Amino acid sequence: MKAFFLITFFVLVLLSVVAWQIQPAPPEGKIPLVWVSDDNPARREQISLFNELHPEYDLRLDPRANQAGMEKVMLQCLAGVGPDLFDAFSPSELDAFVRSGVAWDITEELAKRGIDMEKEVWPAILPTGIREGRVYGFPANVAVDAIWVNKDLFDAAGEPYPEGPWSWEELIEVAQRLTIRDERGRIKQFGFLCDWWQWPQFIMLFGGQLYAENGTRSAVDSPEAIEAIQFMHDLMYVHHVMPTPVDEAAMATAGGWGSGTITYFGASKGAMALGGRWWLCTLRDYEGLNLGVVEIPRMSDTAYRAYGRATLVNRYSPTREQALDFLVYEAGKDYNDLINRQADAVAAVMRYNYTPQFLHNPEHPEEDYNEVWRDVIQYGAPDVWSPFINGQAANRILTKQLDLVKNDQKSAADALRDAAREIHKEMAKTLARDPSLRIKYYRLTGRERPE
Amino acid sequence: MSATGRVQEPKPQAGFSAWWYRRGRFTGAHIALTIMAVTMLVPFSWMVLASFKPLQEVEQLNPFPSVWRFDNYLRVFEQVSFARYYFNSIFVAAWVTFLQCLTSAMAAYAFARLRWRGRDMVFRLYLATLMIPGVVVMIPNYTVMVKLHLLDSYVGLIVPAAFGAFGTFLLRQFMLTIPASLDEAAEIDGATPWQIFWDVIMPLCRAGLVTLAIFTFLGNYGSFFWPLILVKSEHLRTLPIGMLYFDSVYGRQTNLIMAASVMNIVPLIILFVAAQRHIVRGVQLGAIKG
Amino acid sequence: MKARRHEFRAALGFLLPNFLGFGVFTAGPVLFSLAISISNWHLHRTIPFRWIALGNFLELLVDKDFWLYSMNTVYLMLGMPVAIAGSLLLAILLSQRLRGIVVYRTLFYLPTFTSGVALMLLWKALYNPEFGALNAAINWCIDTFRVNEVVRALGGAGVSAPTWLLSTKNLFGLEAEQVRSATAQWGLGARDALIIMGIWIAIGGNNMLLYLAGLSNIPPELVEAAQLDGAGRWAVFRNVTWPQLAPTTFFIVVMSFIGGLQGGFEQARVMTQGGPAGTTTTVAYYIYTKAFEELMVGYAAAVSWLLFTAIFVITMINWRLGSKELNY
Repeated sequence: MKAFFLITFFVLVLLSVVAWQIQPAPPEGKIPLVWVSDDNPARREQISLFNELHPEYDLRLDPRANQAGMEKVMLQCLAGVGPDLFDAFSPSELDAFVRSGVAWDITEELAKRGIDMEKEVWPAILPTGIREGRVYGFPANVAVDAIWVNKDLFDAAGEPYPEGPWSWEELIEVAQRLTIRDERGRIKQFGFLCDWWQWPQFIMLFGGQLYAENGTRSAVDSPEAIEAIQFMHDLMYVHHVMPTPVDEAAMATAGGWGSGTITYFGASKGAMALGGRWWLCTLRDYEGLNLGVVEIPRMSDTAYRAYGRATLVNRYSPTREQALDFLVYEAGKDYNDLINRQADAVAAVMRYNYTPQFLHNPEHPEEDYNEVWRDVIQYGAPDVWSPFINGQAANRILTKQLDLVKNDQKSAADALRDAAREIHKEMAKTLARDPSLRIKYYRLTGRERPE
Repeated sequence: MSATGRVQEPKPQAGFSAWWYRRGRFTGAHIALTIMAVTMLVPFSWMVLASFKPLQEVEQLNPFPSVWRFDNYLRVFEQVSFARYYFNSIFVAAWVTFLQCLTSAMAAYAFARLRWRGRDMVFRLYLATLMIPGVVVMIPNYTVMVKLHLLDSYVGLIVPAAFGAFGTFLLRQFMLTIPASLDEAAEIDGATPWQIFWDVIMPLCRAGLVTLAIFTFLGNYGSFFWPLILVKSEHLRTLPIGMLYFDSVYGRQTNLIMAASVMNIVPLIILFVAAQRHIVRGVQLGAIKG
Repeated sequence: MKARRHEFRAALGFLLPNFLGFGVFTAGPVLFSLAISISNWHLHRTIPFRWIALGNFLELLVDKDFWLYSMNTVYLMLGMPVAIAGSLLLAILLSQRLRGIVVYRTLFYLPTFTSGVALMLLWKALYNPEFGALNAAINWCIDTFRVNEVVRALGGAGVSAPTWLLSTKNLFGLEAEQVRSATAQWGLGARDALIIMGIWIAIGGNNMLLYLAGLSNIPPELVEAAQLDGAGRWAVFRNVTWPQLAPTTFFIVVMSFIGGLQGGFEQARVMTQGGPAGTTTTVAYYIYTKAFEELMVGYAAAVSWLLFTAIFVITMINWRLGSKELNY
């Protein structure tokens, strides 16, 4: 027994020597930079282009997990070993990074380098990089959803391709005609694929918002929001054009947000699907798809939901000045053209979406619908968020209530009223914890807490 | 396999197993076990089959791929530094397992076989720490690693996982079942506690040690959270972190996840097959020596 | 007395390596977390650090979500006794010297090391309300035995196969939003699905291995002696096997309670994301959410310590019950 332990020990020591030996030496004379973002093929190309253009740097990616992605960055930055660059995926994430003190205020730095973000970047994505007038990050891309059309399925049914602007009534009619059932009544082909988590999009489309009055009050109980959620419910249970949870389970055994719907649409199981241009990153792998794009039906004065990423700089990074070069790269032509070519959503800098390459990608001549993506972006608006509640906490409350609507267990009106009430309770708790927020709230409303 | 394959004529053996064997032949245990084992095998075979599928087919219920995509396995190596992550995972888990078994066995010996004042109090303290959810010590532990400058290093991955109350508890329970007369006899022969520990107790605990080794290796090999927040450099990533690459919002490459998972569990199966017979035979052998 | 001191010094030596690591990486952080549980520590710097005594715990007492999630946690532990009994039975079967027993042991252990994603995909497919194998069987039974005709004749509304992971229903009719029960919620849902899956995974897993190891520790003489006395199979089990396995059973029960009360994190994260409507969210998942998503480290520590108290009390009860049989 003793001998066994001794032998094991020596083997392990030997392995440690091996492990030590195969540590890669840092590239000679290069400045290492680490960027935390989601890991995928598109990201790799974006990194290698940067390293090519800036041979003095060695930029690497540290993949961001769905779990604890933000926490990791904050902990590492505060401990002094954080990445040099990291992405914020929404305005409320930016807020969290700024309030934990790890995001570097780069307003002056960017101005020094002649970048005027507010002039160059699509306005809808600005709040992910700018907070209370101070600049912290540069948008890496911007996305606004539209409706994908599978032209072959339309042809097979003898339907003309839809053209915008159009109404929800028209969409429902077309979708119903394109829904095909098998002999047992189970749906074989969906008219309209749409993920339930698109509900913020619908609230916006119906003229509602998540928060009102500078984020001091939840607005999910507004008539517009209730109408929007009820409408989504009806798409499933009244018009039978959108997959119900049971249908969704039948089609997306893989889970993961969005992936089920994308792959299902890619496999020609749906005639239309609500999604973004970034779906192409996956859809291009499906051969023989014949695609079109049409805008989502919209009330005259409402907006589409815009989302995207912005890259922030770690305030404690010893190479933060150098890391800024990456943001300059994100503002430049090479990067933005690459984003458009990869279809990693749409370039955040407006002018690169007005080039001939954007409209007609020479590698993908079949993608003749890029103008639609540019058009819808002009009506894009960012998520309205509240500084007075943690975004994740609000999400937990809303998910819970909306799950009940989705399962046809509770009416949209009841669920959203309960959600608003709980959000206000949570806000009151947040205000009780945070004196600076309390002052801000009082200034905005003249009240101590939401009523 | 070889140890059991050789059994042709059941030798009249003493003890629990032999008794069961004589009974078992007539109970059709084989049939019952086979039916149950098949239900256990289903997800595994499904995983192996899915690892050969093109992406579009992974979610379909038909278990067999229409085209066998053997290159899925190559693509795993191409898209990420899989070999490096493989090595890291095994390396870290092996160190943790070694340290855990050694230190836990020693501590368990002190708790189970030696008499000293306050022994049970200290042991209960050990036990109590098991009841604290791991998530909550993660942030304090992280602070410790910052102070010790162990972030983003192998040592930081290995050391915090290498000492625990779990192993101590498990081995203590095992050592309690060993008759006290054995070490008393050794003591009369003039053996020191150190000698008793290595020559009497440890051989008799083989089953427990192997069990602990399997648990520890398995638990650490699949650990996700700690490496996730600790590691920044690419060359230190372990398999669960490396596999994040196949699971981005741009679509989950489920077929490649499956291929990576199959390769992921190969070392575990080897370990298990090699180790499991010690669990059952350990004491019989030990008893002969003792 | 002399021997005692000698043993104390030896014990110190044996304990030291483990104790050092344990102190730095377990005991220290645990005490640290106790300290922060009475603080308002939040990773946002705009919230000044303060000691708030029992503030977190008082807030916790009126935190409806916490109580709902506690209920879920306890509910998900219902499969525990079945899983433990199954493991014991399986271990007895697998301790035989059958040809190819290694293969069986490995097969039964497979679910424990098959990756979470693969298991999740498969069980999601099994539980699929429309295409799943489980509901196919249930629907077949309903049709064949004309269950609905009988139920309707008795004045019921008719039954249909459960939607499993999509449903908030459960065996006790617990509601999703309140800690109370309602007839409309009676049925089978996500929580029950997770219990069944949990039993399936656990039965051939670590507990089976522990029992296998425990069985091999039973001295052959004891079994022989019992047989010579003419004891039947059940008598041998009752009088020899079961008492000899007591330390193992004790360990398994204690660890299962600890694991159960701290558990549900992986399943919830991978299978259901805590849904539908939060019905598969457990306390452990809640702690994670509070600490790693809402960044309320102090509050998360308080939840952990409340959970600790519950686990501690239950373990002490186990200890009392166990020591009666074990004679510690």
